[in-house]
Amino acid sequence: MFTKQLTGRRLWIAALIMPPLVFVCLFIVYPIISAFAYAFFEWSGLARGDFVWFENFHKVLFVEPFASRTVNAFSHNVFVFFALMVFQNGLGFVLAYFLWRELPGFRFHRIAVFLPVVLSTIVVGFLWRLFFHPLFGPVNAGLKALGLGFLTQPWLGQDTTALWSIVFANAWHMVGFPTLVFLAGMQRIPGEVLDAVRMETQSEWVKITKIVWPLVAPSATVVFTLLFVGAFNWFELPYIMVGLEGSPHGSTDVLGLYFYRTAFGNQSGAPPDFGAGSALAVLIFLFIAIVAGTLTIRMRRREIEL
Amino acid sequence: MTASARSVSSVPTVSSNRSTVWTLDALVQVVLIANTLVMLVPIVIMVFSAFKTNVQIFQSPFSIPDFTNLTNLTKIWTQTNFLRYLGNSFFVTGVSMLLILTLGTMAAYAIARYRFTGSGFILMFFVAGLTLPLKLAIIPLFILMRDLGILNSHAALIVVYVATGLPTTVFIMTGFIRTLPSELEDAARMDGASEALIMWKIMLPLVRPAMVIAGIQNVVPIWNDFFFPLVFIQSDGLKTLPQGLASFMGEYNTDWGVLFSGLTLSVLPIIIIYILLSKQFINGMTSGAVK
Amino acid sequence: MKHFVLGAAVLAGTALSTFGAMAQELNFWTWRAEDKAQYEQYIDTFEAANPGITVTFSSYESTNYFSALSTSLTGGTGPDVMMVRSYGGLETISNGGFLLPLDETNVPALAGFSPAAIASETSRTDGKTYAIPFASQTMLVIYNKDLFDQHGITEPQTWDELLAASEKLKAAGVMPFANGTATAWQNESTFHALTASTFGRAFYEDMIAGKADFTDPRYIEALTKYDEISTKYFPEGFVGLDYPSAQQLFISGLAGMFAGGSFELASFATQNPSLNMGIFAAPGATAEDEKLGSIYFDGGYAVNATSKHPEAALKFANYLASLEFGQAFANGLKNISPIPGVTFESELLQEVSEMNKTAIPYIMFVHFRYAEPSGSALLQAEIQKMSAGQQTPEGIGKVITEGVAAWYEPFQK
Repeated sequence: MFTKQLTGRRLWIAALIMPPLVFVCLFIVYPIISAFAYAFFEWSGLARGDFVWFENFHKVLFVEPFASRTVNAFSHNVFVFFALMVFQNGLGFVLAYFLWRELPGFRFHRIAVFLPVVLSTIVVGFLWRLFFHPLFGPVNAGLKALGLGFLTQPWLGQDTTALWSIVFANAWHMVGFPTLVFLAGMQRIPGEVLDAVRMETQSEWVKITKIVWPLVAPSATVVFTLLFVGAFNWFELPYIMVGLEGSPHGSTDVLGLYFYRTAFGNQSGAPPDFGAGSALAVLIFLFIAIVAGTLTIRMRRREIEL
Repeated sequence: MTASARSVSSVPTVSSNRSTVWTLDALVQVVLIANTLVMLVPIVIMVFSAFKTNVQIFQSPFSIPDFTNLTNLTKIWTQTNFLRYLGNSFFVTGVSMLLILTLGTMAAYAIARYRFTGSGFILMFFVAGLTLPLKLAIIPLFILMRDLGILNSHAALIVVYVATGLPTTVFIMTGFIRTLPSELEDAARMDGASEALIMWKIMLPLVRPAMVIAGIQNVVPIWNDFFFPLVFIQSDGLKTLPQGLASFMGEYNTDWGVLFSGLTLSVLPIIIIYILLSKQFINGMTSGAVK
Repeated sequence: MKHFVLGAAVLAGTALSTFGAMAQELNFWTWRAEDKAQYEQYIDTFEAANPGITVTFSSYESTNYFSALSTSLTGGTGPDVMMVRSYGGLETISNGGFLLPLDETNVPALAGFSPAAIASETSRTDGKTYAIPFASQTMLVIYNKDLFDQHGITEPQTWDELLAASEKLKAAGVMPFANGTATAWQNESTFHALTASTFGRAFYEDMIAGKADFTDPRYIEALTKYDEISTKYFPEGFVGLDYPSAQQLFISGLAGMFAGGSFELASFATQNPSLNMGIFAAPGATAEDEKLGSIYFDGGYAVNATSKHPEAALKFANYLASLEFGQAFANGLKNISPIPGVTFESELLQEVSEMNKTAIPYIMFVHFRYAEPSGSALLQAEIQKMSAGQQTPEGIGKVITEGVAAWYEPFQK
């Protein structure tokens, strides 16, 4: 009876679908579910101990100094998200709008703005770490050469500039992405629509707010969602540029660094703690999933309306 | 976009506004040139510094170097494991891409071309994987790799890359395969061709453009990944380029010329390919977000 | 000569007992990839004396060593003999019951080690020793002898002389100190290297006895002086200067002094063989104040409790505890071996070893890394805050004391 159901066609579909499905189940779904389970146990190194209910969550959320570290790191993620929203996505929109005019040389500008996007985050991190060096870095050298010597800073060493410097490196790295996504969106706006608006007004501002923005909005939601996920997963760039501790004194600490440090230990901290690490991972995960999920659903709804 | 949109958007229709438009264009051009400089100058300085000694870098960071001075590059070639890292990266990326495209196309084909119960659910299941940050499941993954006995091996990286690459690939490929006309397929089916033959002979040749897009979308993050090797790979001989670069940067930390050479060498392959295939790169990498 | 005989006797003993045994393969793990060539030599020596035993050396990235090791140990595929960390870092492994307790019955040479060395590899949980310490490190000040001579400076005997020497270098256009504080852990090592003599041995002993905590005036005084000297005499923009750059400033002869660990000596010498270095322990307020280095033990060699070849593993462990090995280790790797009787070829290492006789423990590393929040993490972050003008010495003392009180009972009120 069972064999009867597995007709040739069904078997064929199953053969196509099963291998990829198994991969995703085994290496994405299963680990994520396990991470949830792990957070409820006490861990001694890699050995799982007793079931401790919500103790790990309680620890990272309410017990000092872990609680304030969590809040500190979280607040930096929020800052990074908004800063990148303005300086990466916002600038990206402006650049896209400018590129859209297709002035001479725009093809070259388009290739240039996207070039850093293909570089590895590690390379970008090291590059800017060397560039921001207080004594020998080209950034300070450049400022001096331009007669702006008074602006030189130990960029990555002060809490006032360190996080901004990493945000800058991130924006330099990724600004090409929103730029070209928005540009592609603008290029799809039908000519008739633009003609129509031009009959009514010459104002660029009206053109942007009434026509361009609403029509690229679906792309924008995707770009924002990706930025959101990226900002709350931020790890490589601060890891390379300021180290696992979020130096100086935690002013660049973000959830990714804090999670890694807690789970795997670091040079000057206490031993690794898989329990607290898993609890942090679950919290970050839930936060990202809920916000990104809401954004995606709203986007879908709007697409249907359009 | 259409040609008419172009001419309309850039040609001023009202003559009195010509000077305003001209000023605006000038402003736009200035901003774009400034931005391009900000994008390219750091890369140029990096390449220049690769040919300099420490003293030259510190004293004249912006000068044009003597490009025949290959001391730093030779040092990397002869004294480090750079070639090994490069080879590892090629191997891991290559195998991962092969598996991603094969498995991704299989799943997408099944979802797009056949009606069966649960196909919608399966697509949603794959798509849900798009935004899941797998980094956060690194602890269970680590333990899973240990149990599978593939910790500290390329297999650990490949399976993770394939798993993370599949959602985007299935998403892109399904969308594309759905748009393919069914006439050819139906005709072949009438002739009694098997499903496998139809897929292989008739449909697959048509999906190549989507494969390029899905391929580019995955190849860059895999080639550049640092996090998973950081956790899974411990032996120096197995390190991929970004991870090897990190330990190399630690080892030669005082020799800036060598550091910049290392950075330059590691970005060179991808920059060259990018310049040659910029259109495909841009389309591929932004395809998930363009609506 | 006596050393030689002793070493030979141990070797002869181990050689005899292997006689007739089957070929046994041992796996040996370290995080010191850079020491591979030397370890291969030591292993050759051991294998030559112990036919039938082969040792395979594997090294792992130091940052991930813990995860690699604990994974394989819990998975039952761990190495037979391995490097383990000291103090808090030891306990995470030893508490899992993965390591064979070592004592004078199975490793007789342990009897000769100093109590401080043994303590570094002894678990506080069960009081058992689990590893043979391999190296000690000392926090001190390294200086450029040529620069000192050139500017007529001698090793300072008081804190004021240290300031005067710094001033002299600064006036001559030389950076007094190469140190930067952008790399978090540098704050801890630099602070101890410069001010151990300022807070002094008495403070340390009171603190350990539970009679004082980090709000003690002596500790506050040390923090105050550190703040003064760092703001005045560290390079411009030192808060943004990372560890490699600081090393580079010293190696290239641009700076007169580097406050840091004795482990720098070997790497500085390799990178600039013509660098003429001297060392001193930073002085206290008066010339009479004891000049103190701060010492800790890096790690040790441990034996897997479930090794398939326990006897062979113990033989190898005994070799790693032998004077012969210690001497080869000190000569080859230019580190201070804690094995009694080892002598040092380099004058600098002799000097360090002399300094070690009176050194006090490197406080946070030795005593306050057993749980979160670790004293190290607190001290590093708070000193960075002080350098940024956002924290006072008194505030630091308070934060550390209250922070570690979460798990350090003597500070709980």
